[in-house]
Amino acid sequence: MSLLPFFHWLAVTHLGIAMRDSTWAFAIVEIIHLVVLAIFGGSVLFLDLRFMGLGFRSVSAPEMAREMLPITAGGAIAMFLTGFLLLISGPMRYYYNTPFRAKMVLFFSAVIFHFVLQASIARSRTQSDRATVVHRVSAVISLLLWSAVGLSGRAIGYF
Amino acid sequence: MLKLLHFCQWIYQTPLSVSIRESTWTFPIIETIHTLGIVLVAGTIAIFDVRLLGLLLKRTRVSHIARNVLPLTWTGFGVMFVTGLLLFISESATNYFNFAFRIKLLLLLLVGLNTLLFHLTVYRRVESWDLAEVTPLHARAAATCSLLLWTGIIISGRMIAYLH
Repeated sequence: MSLLPFFHWLAVTHLGIAMRDSTWAFAIVEIIHLVVLAIFGGSVLFLDLRFMGLGFRSVSAPEMAREMLPITAGGAIAMFLTGFLLLISGPMRYYYNTPFRAKMVLFFSAVIFHFVLQASIARSRTQSDRATVVHRVSAVISLLLWSAVGLSGRAIGYF
Repeated sequence: MLKLLHFCQWIYQTPLSVSIRESTWTFPIIETIHTLGIVLVAGTIAIFDVRLLGLLLKRTRVSHIARNVLPLTWTGFGVMFVTGLLLFISESATNYFNFAFRIKLLLLLLVGLNTLLFHLTVYRRVESWDLAEVTPLHARAAATCSLLLWTGIIISGRMIAYLH
């Protein structure tokens, strides 16, 4: 099944036309996307470093995972929504953009991987300071996935 | 101010400036590193500010967060400074006239002053409010200023390219 009809439909929705026709809408939404990136990226980095056992021994990994959930989950949702508004301003341009396609695959993989990891650590009851090997490796994968999302996102504008 | 303009124009014709400008990929690569470096600087500072405002990690010592976050922040700052300087070198003659660029420099100066003031005053007595959920008014004011200024820096930074 191709997503092409869906992208064609997006282009003619009221929201799509409004985003496309406005002079500043794209710039404003893109800047919000960037500001949220700073906060979201910062918290993901912070959290993954804790999961790796690097620094922050005073707070247990499960507690950190729970404390940071509003900011990481809220950040991911805000990134998705602002990103969607950017997409809808010119769906056909993005449909044929290779970095965009890569970014979507990477983004959904990162979301699933990261939140399964964060939720499982949040639920675990270990009081041990030592991070398990599985958690360490998972945190590295999470960071690599998010970095790839960021890099492919930046590349969209260059292709 | 004419001297500053001449200086920017002199930088603009140096071999380094010309080579960044004329290469296809150098500028985009530096710019990408600069953009993603935001996560290290603004992102880690935001976590600290959010703790000062009592919104997150309330039971964690403020000084612990500072100690763990600051090495990342400074690393990021170094990356941002070097890449930002290279970007400026490649566009110095046009950046000089760019309104967003001027605003960004002003905001960077203000955020520096805000941080300096915070560390010289209220943060000196951090032992007395390290575990407070509601931190002193001055700390919360500094956190609010910091969040607003960094948002302004990201906005004006992005606007440089839009006004180009």
